[in-house]
Amino acid sequence: MTSTQAVRERQSGVKTMAQAIAATLDQEMARDDRVVVIGEDVGKRGGVFLATDKLFDKYGPDRVIDSPLSEAAIIGAALGMAVYGLRPVAEIQFADYVFPGFDQLVSQVAKIRYRSGGAFTAPLVVRMPAGGGVRGGHHHSQNPDTHFVHTAGLKVVYPSTPSDSAGLLRSAIRDEDPVIVMEPKRLYRSVKEAVPEGDHAVEIGKAAVRREGDDVVLVSYGGSMAETLKAADALTEQGIGAHVLDLRSLQPWDETAVLEAVARVGRVVLVSESPRSAGFMAEVSATISEEVMDSLLAPPLRVTGFDTPYPYVQDREYLPSPNRILKAVERALTY
Amino acid sequence: MIREWQGFQPFTDEPIRLIGDGGEWLGPFELDLEPEKLKGFYLDMLAGRLIDDRLGRLQRQGKTSFVAPSAGHEAAQVGLAHAVRKGHDWVFPYYRDVSLLLALGMPVVEFAGQSLGTMADTARGRQMPYHPGSAELNVFTVASPIASHVPPAVGTALAMKLAGRSQVTVCSFGDGATSEGDWHAGVNLAGAQGAPIVFACQNNGYAISVDLKKQTGSDTIAVKAHAYGMPGYLVDGMDVLASFLVAREAIERAREGVGPSIVEFVVYRYGGHSSADDDSRYRARQEVELWRRRDPLDRYRRFLERRGLWDEDAEQRARAEIDAQLVEGIRQAQEAGTVPLEWMFEDVYAQMPERLVRQREELLG
Repeated sequence: MTSTQAVRERQSGVKTMAQAIAATLDQEMARDDRVVVIGEDVGKRGGVFLATDKLFDKYGPDRVIDSPLSEAAIIGAALGMAVYGLRPVAEIQFADYVFPGFDQLVSQVAKIRYRSGGAFTAPLVVRMPAGGGVRGGHHHSQNPDTHFVHTAGLKVVYPSTPSDSAGLLRSAIRDEDPVIVMEPKRLYRSVKEAVPEGDHAVEIGKAAVRREGDDVVLVSYGGSMAETLKAADALTEQGIGAHVLDLRSLQPWDETAVLEAVARVGRVVLVSESPRSAGFMAEVSATISEEVMDSLLAPPLRVTGFDTPYPYVQDREYLPSPNRILKAVERALTY
Repeated sequence: MIREWQGFQPFTDEPIRLIGDGGEWLGPFELDLEPEKLKGFYLDMLAGRLIDDRLGRLQRQGKTSFVAPSAGHEAAQVGLAHAVRKGHDWVFPYYRDVSLLLALGMPVVEFAGQSLGTMADTARGRQMPYHPGSAELNVFTVASPIASHVPPAVGTALAMKLAGRSQVTVCSFGDGATSEGDWHAGVNLAGAQGAPIVFACQNNGYAISVDLKKQTGSDTIAVKAHAYGMPGYLVDGMDVLASFLVAREAIERAREGVGPSIVEFVVYRYGGHSSADDDSRYRARQEVELWRRRDPLDRYRRFLERRGLWDEDAEQRARAEIDAQLVEGIRQAQEAGTVPLEWMFEDVYAQMPERLVRQREELLG
């Protein structure tokens, strides 16, 4: 890319996901003094994925806090700051490293509103790059979304585009409850689009329709949206219309959008890169069976990651590929 | 000697002690506290001692499920409570802090209401007994997972730095908590950031049944402070004046922006870990009796008597008055009524999600 082109893109608001996140954090910190950022390398380094780029220079070490290497400290301190009245945005360097801080999320963050009878609340955000496709092996590729969805008191969002990353992060920062923002790291820099300026917010709990179609419903979110859309485009070429939903939020999730589409079309394929057993799509599938059984022309089918630790050499093969999605669609159509 | 007083020394070999066995003042400086303040310490310790008895009875009657007595810890807790600026500073207690909470000003009806899970519980009946909190008093709601409140406590202290309101956080826990990863995570962060916080360890020598030697290779808890770049004070936690004065110094030091510290209060719990424990399985009766001879209330009563501030008549009156207040508070808590079933579904989120609305209907049907 020439430098003139780069300047033109910046001016027109074209951003990668990482740039959209950094810009949103900047805007929210400028808007509200209570917003602070805490995490490993979020200061001078600007985050290992540059999602907090330039914030340290602008807001200083008291609002952009380089924490010790401790996820329990990051999430626990964020909770304390939130209870005190700030709006902390914590960064976990990789979702794979959240587990030392998992107790803080489950025992403290998720429950403080409930166990204090609303006396104390936790309006905080925990951002974490998640998912595979970067040849990082199991400790840089996992997708632990279901753990959070299973924990009452947390909200979970999982954008798949730069605009949604900005819009959901803004909603998360302004939300009264703790929100886990999972960011598909393999899409951090690979997709660019014009991100709306100003107060652009995406409502938590609302899915987006990415393609319209009448033959099969494809439901996905996060990193797997890329492969799901590729599969949908291949289906279009075959004259098969796929209705594609990007969930964007997992807790709460848009049951209405899913159930209406499935009731209308009768066939559905659920795509997620999380391990299959008791994964998020098992919940979606069960809800479909409970609510719109009569409209189904085929059983809800899942295309997911496998019940193995995330592999290294087979990085791409673990992920739901367009081919695996197409095979499931064929099964749904010929059931 | 008085003129040269520079403050308490951290990392002493023996616990800092200011009251002798006979109630004599041992301090190397003159005590500058009003008689009413001195008597107030005793009254607060007495309330802590007596509420254990009252709630223990309710537990044995099956009206509450759990009691974690603070008997033996009263001096440390009351000293700490008096060193805090009530309602201005923040306090992160643990489950054995009933004397601390009452001394901070938590009404008996609230504490008992929390234990009974009635409408008198400001937390709406959500937690097991001895797990209260108070937004009014800046007292963070107690959580069972040991040391999980330590990193959040540090978070409030970091927020205070930003707010610039000269506040301090006090985080209280037992000796077992110091083995948890979250304890290290929190104390380490406080050291690195110079957070205005005091870590108050009530070391009673046991985490349920596991004694301190199996808990840590360190000689004391206080010595651990050295590694985090902060002073660690070893205090006789059954001496209310030593507990108060050392805690006050550590808290004011934090308030002035000098940084965090650890204060280890050496105490002993007379009862089991909780109403569900049988401590005869892991410690000898003689050991308990030996510690009871250092009883914080008895020793401090002798101190007051030597100064002409207390006598048997005052003792009888105080006991009767406090017990009457406890009985009345507990009665109010019992009579406040049961919490409604549908409250189970509230306060999970700011707004009840559609799914929970449906689940509530499923139950209430």
